[in-house]
Amino acid sequence: MFDFLQAVLDGILFGTTYSLIGIGFTLVFGVMHKINMAYAAASIGAAYLGLVTASVFKASSAWAVFGYSFVSGGVLGYFVYLICFHLIPLKNENATLMSTVGMLLLTDELISHATTGAPQNYPATLEDVMVRAGGLSVRGDLILVFCVSVACTAALLLLLYRTRLGLATRAVAQQPIAAQLCGIRVAQVNALTFVITGLLGGIAGALICSAVGSLSILLTGPLTVKGLIVTVIGGLGSVPGAIVAGLLVGGLENAFQHFRGVTERDMYVMLLLFAFLIFRPGGIFAKGRGRD
Amino acid sequence: MNKIALAVAAAFATTLGFSGSAVAQEKTVTIAPFGVKTGVLRLFGLNSEAAVKAAVEEVNKAGGVKLADGSKAKMIAADYLDDRCNAEEGIAVVRRIYGSEALVAVGPTCSNVAEPLYGILQKKVDDAKDTGLQFPLLTDVAIKVGLAKISEWSFRNVPSELTMYSSLYYWLKTTRPELKTVYGGVEEDFAHSRASWHVVMKDRANANGYQVLGESKWLLNDTNFSTQVREIKKANPDILSIAAHPFTTCGLLKEMQRQGVKPKLIVGLTSTSSLETMQACPKQAEGMIIPSSFAPINKEAKFAAEQTAKQKGSADLHSMASWENVFILKEAMERAGISGRKDAASIQSDRRKLRDALAATKTTKGLLGVNKRTEDREADKPYVFVHGKGGSWVVLHNPL
Repeated sequence: MFDFLQAVLDGILFGTTYSLIGIGFTLVFGVMHKINMAYAAASIGAAYLGLVTASVFKASSAWAVFGYSFVSGGVLGYFVYLICFHLIPLKNENATLMSTVGMLLLTDELISHATTGAPQNYPATLEDVMVRAGGLSVRGDLILVFCVSVACTAALLLLLYRTRLGLATRAVAQQPIAAQLCGIRVAQVNALTFVITGLLGGIAGALICSAVGSLSILLTGPLTVKGLIVTVIGGLGSVPGAIVAGLLVGGLENAFQHFRGVTERDMYVMLLLFAFLIFRPGGIFAKGRGRD
Repeated sequence: MNKIALAVAAAFATTLGFSGSAVAQEKTVTIAPFGVKTGVLRLFGLNSEAAVKAAVEEVNKAGGVKLADGSKAKMIAADYLDDRCNAEEGIAVVRRIYGSEALVAVGPTCSNVAEPLYGILQKKVDDAKDTGLQFPLLTDVAIKVGLAKISEWSFRNVPSELTMYSSLYYWLKTTRPELKTVYGGVEEDFAHSRASWHVVMKDRANANGYQVLGESKWLLNDTNFSTQVREIKKANPDILSIAAHPFTTCGLLKEMQRQGVKPKLIVGLTSTSSLETMQACPKQAEGMIIPSSFAPINKEAKFAAEQTAKQKGSADLHSMASWENVFILKEAMERAGISGRKDAASIQSDRRKLRDALAATKTTKGLLGVNKRTEDREADKPYVFVHGKGGSWVVLHNPL
């Protein structure tokens, strides 16, 4: 029983990395009603650019790498917006979706070429910190990831509900045509959404690589899948939902692994997704339908 | 005017004559390397490509390949084709090579490509009922045990993991008698890793008198190893044998460090004794022991590594097998007496002669010594034990 509790706790904590990616997916969907399949890959790309920039400026500390990744994420976010959503007509649902799939593969290959496919050592934070309570132990770096997830959610909610940009973003999310008629620059709001999610992606990518211990293109596929699952389970467009769903998926993943083994684990996670799609398609935090 | 015209015509004719004879002398024989050049295993392909290029250069510097008529042909390495470590793409690549003038293909990188690929080759030579491809393959990297027996057209120059791990566990038993138990860590969804633990390491550890306590499993793309490390901690083995590639090996080692799990000894997978591991987790891989069929321990090995480095590749057990393959092929082509002609019938005839010569080969010259060839077209290569030290792989023991 103790082993099971520890496994679930480990999973919940590791689920924070899924939450971070899920937040990015859900934010873009909430504002533009589009799925950005390249989000996780761009986040890892930003983490890599952060690592490279830090080495160029001879700044080896993890915090410097995180800072550069944060900025790189914003730049990459804008780039993804420009290529996949600005230059391609938004009306064509499939074209934007496929272009982000293309961007995912392109980013993957670019990282593969830059690193020759080899995993890169990534600086760790709170590497040796283990919080122990009642025989259970929790990794310090994953607590940090959890705190960052909560802080990002708080910052995003503040931005959405306490600023003019947030008001404009919500207006564009609910009624883009009406928002445009009110003088809101829809394209600018969309671009800013991508930059903000990109900044978040940069820090998410860096924190994930730091928690894993290395950066590799092997991370992009699973993170994309887990990010999408978390977004659906949390409720498309719900930022707090992404956090809760990330923790839930992480915890259940380890619980399934504990009982059924690693080879069956992902099968049950997929069944969980189907269960949500059938019985609660709006996710945990199902949002009421807007006027449109 | 007539004299000038005659002189120009004579000069022109002479030029044509010279260039014509130059073209006539420029006979070529082509080998076609292929493997992975994209994705997470890209480095394998880059290193093999560099090693093949470097070795072909050396062959040509020494005069090229002697043909049946006594003339010399230049060896050409065709462009390195990418199979993306995907079986279908690997098969498509080999079918494409088969349609070219290449006499042999050198590859693939991945065992999950090699296995189905050998399956499309003719199983037994001269079996008229079998319409499989009659085309020789000399594999340099795909290392999963016992694959070459699938077809009489498939040959491998990869080390025998059975021999190497048997020798390693025997050596450990002799030199570290206090170590009694072994626990496995296996990347369960990767053909090579899986076979290496379940067929090789586990069996060889048992055979050498170790008590195998069990195994923890994970997948190639996994990032969270907390559960597996707790299992290892609970088992408390003397030796942890990891059958996984660098990304997950490093992930596991870093999690072990976090949880303070320190087995007395860690044994790694052959493919992990590469630059990748030292890029991703040099500190954590310190002391890990791996058997390897390459280390720059003599003049030839150092030379091969240097020439490969000039082609922007790094020397490891896989890329140096690619290097050796070029020389194995040169020697086999000369022994077979290939014609080097480019018509379809001659190309196919040369392929068959080359296959037969490869099948008849009993030993080849390897970088660490003599490589023996087995009846089922595999290699029995010399090896050393290396260990992680100061951020690189250093020879710990030479058992031969």
